[in-house]
Amino acid sequence: MNIAVTLAWRYLWGRKLRTALTTLAVVFGVSVLFGMGALIPTMSETFTKVLFASAGQVDLSVTNASGSTFDSSIAEQVAGVEGVKAATPVLLRPVGMPKTSPVSSIQVAGIEPRTAEKVRHYAVGQGVMLSPGDRGVVLLGKSLATQANLRVGGYFDIPSINGTKRYRVIGILGSASPPGTQEAFLTLADAQQLFGEGNRASEVDATFVNGVDRTLVEARVRRELGSDYNVGGIAPGSELLSSLKMAEFIFNMFGVFALAMGGFIILNTFRTVVAERRHDIGMLRAVGARRRTILGIFLVESLLQGILGTALGLLAGAGMAMGLIAALNPLYKRLVNMTVGAPQFQLSSLTLAIVMGIGVTVLGALSPALAASRITPLEALRPQVGEVEDRQRGRRAWIGVGILVFSAMGLVSGNASALGLGSVGVLVGLVLVAPELVGPISNAFAWLIDAVFRSEGEIARSNMQRQPSRAATTAAAVMISLAIIISLLGVMSSIVGGFLDYVDKSVAGADFIMLPTNLLLAGGNVGASNELVTDIRNTPGVNAVATLRIAKTQVDGSPAQVIGLDPVEYPKVATFEFSGDGQTSDIGKLAHGRGLIANGLFAAQNGLKVGQRVKVTTVNGEKTFSIIAIGSDYLNAKLATVYISQERLKEDFGTESNALVLANLSPGADAPQVKRQLATLVADYPQLTLYDTTSFKETQKVTMSQVMIGMYGLVVVLAIPTLLALLNNLAMSVIARTREIGMLRALGSTRRQVRRMVMAEALFLASVGVTFGVISGIVLSYAMVAATNNVGWKIPFYFPTGGVIAAVIAGFGFSLLAAVIPSRSAAKLDIVAALHYE
Amino acid sequence: MAIVEARGLTKVYGTGTTTVTALDHVDLAVQPGEFVAVMGPSGCGKSTLLNLLGGLDTPSEGTIEIDGEPVADMNDDQLTMLRRRRFGFVFQFFNLIPVLNATENAALPLTLDGVSAAEARTRAEEWLRKVGLEDRMRNRPDQLSGGQQQRVAVARALVTNPALLLADEPTGNLDSRSSDEIAALLKQASEDWGRAILMVTHDIRLAAHAHRIVFMQDGRIVDDAKINGAEDARKAVEKVGLL
Repeated sequence: MNIAVTLAWRYLWGRKLRTALTTLAVVFGVSVLFGMGALIPTMSETFTKVLFASAGQVDLSVTNASGSTFDSSIAEQVAGVEGVKAATPVLLRPVGMPKTSPVSSIQVAGIEPRTAEKVRHYAVGQGVMLSPGDRGVVLLGKSLATQANLRVGGYFDIPSINGTKRYRVIGILGSASPPGTQEAFLTLADAQQLFGEGNRASEVDATFVNGVDRTLVEARVRRELGSDYNVGGIAPGSELLSSLKMAEFIFNMFGVFALAMGGFIILNTFRTVVAERRHDIGMLRAVGARRRTILGIFLVESLLQGILGTALGLLAGAGMAMGLIAALNPLYKRLVNMTVGAPQFQLSSLTLAIVMGIGVTVLGALSPALAASRITPLEALRPQVGEVEDRQRGRRAWIGVGILVFSAMGLVSGNASALGLGSVGVLVGLVLVAPELVGPISNAFAWLIDAVFRSEGEIARSNMQRQPSRAATTAAAVMISLAIIISLLGVMSSIVGGFLDYVDKSVAGADFIMLPTNLLLAGGNVGASNELVTDIRNTPGVNAVATLRIAKTQVDGSPAQVIGLDPVEYPKVATFEFSGDGQTSDIGKLAHGRGLIANGLFAAQNGLKVGQRVKVTTVNGEKTFSIIAIGSDYLNAKLATVYISQERLKEDFGTESNALVLANLSPGADAPQVKRQLATLVADYPQLTLYDTTSFKETQKVTMSQVMIGMYGLVVVLAIPTLLALLNNLAMSVIARTREIGMLRALGSTRRQVRRMVMAEALFLASVGVTFGVISGIVLSYAMVAATNNVGWKIPFYFPTGGVIAAVIAGFGFSLLAAVIPSRSAAKLDIVAALHYE
Repeated sequence: MAIVEARGLTKVYGTGTTTVTALDHVDLAVQPGEFVAVMGPSGCGKSTLLNLLGGLDTPSEGTIEIDGEPVADMNDDQLTMLRRRRFGFVFQFFNLIPVLNATENAALPLTLDGVSAAEARTRAEEWLRKVGLEDRMRNRPDQLSGGQQQRVAVARALVTNPALLLADEPTGNLDSRSSDEIAALLKQASEDWGRAILMVTHDIRLAAHAHRIVFMQDGRIVDDAKINGAEDARKAVEKVGLL
């Protein structure tokens, strides 16, 4: 075997604990990358299959380019195209069900009985199929009927814009529903009435004559309908799929982050290893090893370690994916009637995990390996010394100071690019100056740690200060973890704080708010008719009422939601957060001509300016609107949104139902009395929940706290690489000082003192990492909030107190946890063996 | 022709006011088969001289010729090849690779030179037998005594049949019995196996095995005495006032 491979393997095998600890860092990163890389696409695929299964044998699906509903007579136009066998209009809507319902949501499909069966087969198991002219009856999917415990002849309640409607069950499908769907079929006319959609449909489904050229027929339909319609096969674009894609991206990023941490750990380990083996390297050079042989030994060692770590990581990742699917399946089954199959391991995620796992390990070892190759043969003749510190430390520190100064200027400037560069610069600058600050920072913490650890603290501190570069590398790994924790929690607390502020001054400037079940998903809400709004307006003690209506659109080709508001009533109850010269009176301008207000996010994404003219895709084709102002209501601030008048929304999109209702009390009105009356009114609208200002704020606080609890869970996961970095450093430290520890024991140190010495060193290491982490975390969270404001989503900066506390606890807590194994192994060292340790 | 010949060899460490002249215009030649001991007080430049002659360090001034070739013209790879094939090194601190066994350690220069594993092992085992370690061939350094480790180092130094063996305080870290064993081994390397030896030592008993003792003080050679046995060595040492 090649000498480099032999030596690399023997060194790895000879230091099993260190090899295991270092490899663990790679295992963790690879397992996240590979496991999640398999899990999430599997879930996406299952969900896509469900969507296709729901579509039955449809050959073609037509939707409006705006994403909104459209005249159902389009189906007749499609049916008339040569090559089309049949076409049928469908009004499809997910509907959130009241809390009392056995299912959380259903999918209501309004179908035209005359043509529906020509396009899709409805295998009715019990009862009968819907007939033309049927009203007030429903055909249920098998799964929904089972879950809701309904039989033919029973009744099923569905929320409508005019209050809850009761439908008689006329039939139940015999074949099992596609997984993930709880279907309820109504006649198109009933569904249109239920959702207040007039004569509109959300899609037209068609089948082709057997044997026709499908592409040709598709082209004919496209020609017939023009550019206002999308024509094609089913293209699932659901929010769940988007969420899964986002989750895949986030987990990939986390995997890369964990591997980057692994890279730090590898770097640290190999630095120590090179220092430990200076004598060996010098001797090898003296007896004739070339520089590249030395380089080869270390690179082969890292390669072996990378291969080992990656292989174990792949196994762990596969196990993680299978375990998570097994754990999540009962939940999916219950919530969406969907079972995710065995994880599908894709070549791309396998390649990514292998390349990243091995690549990061070899890259981490490269710099120490190059340093090793530069060791002169003279080292062999020198007596054994400790780790030789990097002589370039001072120069690097000055470069770091320079970068920090420039970064501070970038951060102060407020410019988006400068903010990004500045925050990265702060991290890089701190990493460079870290070795010089290890001493001062640990000295600053000395009074605290020495108070608990007394003499052991002093030895621990000098131990750490002897190897400032190694301590600084560990501190850098800790810093990056903690900085991410603080910035995430910082941004979250800014969002929460900003939201509650907004509630105070804006939405809840209204005394009552009636919110849909799912505020942000326009497609999943039934809304309420104007009758309810009129009733609310006429309630004694109510002064003003404003509503929001929602449709989908595209502005200059970019998807957005379009919100309709009453330009006269809305400013009486709530307002916007305007950018530039915008003011509340601009809302009134929506009443005249085709004007819109773009929210900050959408304006920033598309570079929109006040006065600019944009093309808005409506149900009736493209219309030109001019931008009156840039401003956001907080609830929709993070969604691409444009606001127009409700009159315009009705004319251009046909939407008349109200998604959200705000109401103000008359001066001196009896608030509890008014609330009771409003509660009676909305009782028949389970899709809306009534809040007064206080209860709304409380509910939001509870929701936010739940989100924050989730975030704290994420913090624990994010801190795992920190734990590994600390554990690795401390284990290195104990191994490197085995002889010293033996000597201390020989001189009379008790096992307890040795154990406490290692624990004190862990705390000193954490003190440096936590200090850097807190500084960079605050800077990062400020930069992230400022950058968010730059892209038009206005949130105020809240100091991340919670994040800082979490990071300090995580940093010091994990350091003590990391010290458990190394301190025990140090305390257990055999004195004689330790004194002769090489 | 001398295996190694130095003329006007000077080595200065540091710069400005902190300069230290470790070697000051030293001339020295080692002939084939010659056993030369270098003695002198600590800090007199003995090890520096050995490092320069072995191609481990570069001089500030002066020339070194190895087999008649000037070292100054050689790049790092050429110097490496020279150390691998023409020189053998024995250090005070044994310097064995802890994860390799005695045979693998002894075979190292051959392995590095691309000699087949089987041949390298055979030749290493042959030398280990010669140094009396036939029953310790599979042991790792931590399973060997100091004297045994140094014998492995001697076997490693001789395995490539080098022209010159450079030894820096080879018994400095050993007890007297082990020191005697190593001394006998070096004498055998010189007399029976015809190797030239340049050895730095403080130990007069070890130096007594040499053909010549070079005495150094303050970076200069102060005496160069041919000797024949312990009595000659003692007199030479007395003459320069080292006793």
